Amino acid sequence: MTAGYLRLELRRLARDRAYLIGTIVMPLLMYLLFTNLGALSGQAKQVAAVYAMISMAAFGAIGAVLNNGGQIVEERAGGWLRQLRTTPMPPLRVVTVRAMTAMVVALPSIVVVCGAGVLLNGVRLDAGQWVRILVLLWLGVIPFALLGLAIGHGATARTLPIMNMLAYLGMAVLGGLWMPLDTFPAILRTVGRLLPTHAYGDLAWSIAFGYGIAGTDFLVLGAWLVIFGGLTVAAYRRSGRAA
Amino acid sequence: MPDTMIAAAFHGVVKRFGDVRAVDGLDLTIPAGQTVALLGPNGAGKSTTINMLLGLFPPDDGTVTLYGTGVAEAVRAGRVGAMLQEAKLPAHARVGELVDFVRAIYPDPLPRADVLATARLTDLAGRPADRLSGGQAQRVRFALALAGGPDLLVLDEPTAALDVEARREFWSAMHAYAGRGHTVLFSTHYLEEADDNADRIVVIGGGRLRADGTPEQIKRTVAGRTVAIDLDGRGAAGLDTLPGVVAVTVRGDRAWLRSTDADATVTALVHDRGLAGLEVTGADLEEAFLALTEKEGTPA
Repeated sequence: MTAGYLRLELRRLARDRAYLIGTIVMPLLMYLLFTNLGALSGQAKQVAAVYAMISMAAFGAIGAVLNNGGQIVEERAGGWLRQLRTTPMPPLRVVTVRAMTAMVVALPSIVVVCGAGVLLNGVRLDAGQWVRILVLLWLGVIPFALLGLAIGHGATARTLPIMNMLAYLGMAVLGGLWMPLDTFPAILRTVGRLLPTHAYGDLAWSIAFGYGIAGTDFLVLGAWLVIFGGLTVAAYRRSGRAA
Repeated sequence: MPDTMIAAAFHGVVKRFGDVRAVDGLDLTIPAGQTVALLGPNGAGKSTTINMLLGLFPPDDGTVTLYGTGVAEAVRAGRVGAMLQEAKLPAHARVGELVDFVRAIYPDPLPRADVLATARLTDLAGRPADRLSGGQAQRVRFALALAGGPDLLVLDEPTAALDVEARREFWSAMHAYAGRGHTVLFSTHYLEEADDNADRIVVIGGGRLRADGTPEQIKRTVAGRTVAIDLDGRGAAGLDTLPGVVAVTVRGDRAWLRSTDADATVTALVHDRGLAGLEVTGADLEEAFLALTEKEGTPA
């Protein structure tokens, strides 16, 4: 039952051009743009190639899991989730499969952007670094996957775009995924460090640049995990009552 | 009748939305194997009844059981397949994939080819489910309802918004499934549709049972004539017991009596209260049926 549902969801996504373009093509193009347009050269260019590779992989992965939440809104509004409730599939299983789908769909964005880093931008890291970066980028997206589920069960078709905009672009920009936090005014820098987007990127950056993982990143990400998890449970309960 | 022979049973079921009693004390038993039409105008409580039958929301009062167990239990066991109103098919999925997906959820599904053939979808299996005509999409919903091989098939206004040809195709698909001994409950607001496709018609209005019988019995009840008179401020008391009268509707100071024997009704009226404003009109099945389901009407 679970495997069949997961397969259906993944097939549907593979045909969804908005998803493919928004979460794989866009981050890839932005990565290539950020790293090849500017006047950067030599050492600075190499640093930018690594830094932006991680930013854009993270940006794409977050986009993918939030898109997954957006689909829940559509299916709630359209009545498909009600339809599923008339079948033997337990409602909680539907959410579980959604979470699993999120974890799968986050992968292509990460792999494609990192691949472009190696193949097009000449990023060289040792095998141990790659493994840790890929694992951290993948598992670090879990809080955002929960945020996607919370939005999926809490938003309506009307409020979805604004919620996604705030969550996605707002947290990405303020968290330093588009431009490094060092370029921000002090106050914004402080805010940025408290956002999950920054902690998420910083875990991988610290491996890539070898400055040692900051415990605060785990703390921040863990705190957001709890917050988004709580929101998901609350939104799910509410939507179940209203169904 | 033993519990296993009863597909669905409502006992004193009440559902309120705010001050509105959408379903108001419903008692109804559906034996296994019947094809039952739930007939009533918009707002009669049909969808509410169906939603409670499917466990989508609980009744405020009374009990609903399926095959002698609780609704949730029967749904979990895969004994029910449903076609809901306005359930949009998910985007980017093919017809055959959706059928396979639903089949995989149920413990004892029908073979894929069987599902597709019954719903007249064999040639559409590879088509994107979100790019079909209204009639085709409705047959996909029907296929998803029956794919799991449920004992009870529940269809909420399955032909709403379909054209004549699509309706005809839909009902022939439904007959193919019901003909194999399955229990089917469908709702409709067309008397003709209920008459053509059900063994039994249950008429509800204002959340209550108004009539229950074979299509023949129901038609006999609603057939006949309408006798309208002015009340002249004397109220409607006693009108429902006049000879031939099966339903009384009062609007303002005028009453409409649905009668199976208009001559006897008018004769009795002459004795009882005179014939002020008398008007006798012929049988219009739809109008008669509306009279039957009017909230003020006396249950037939």
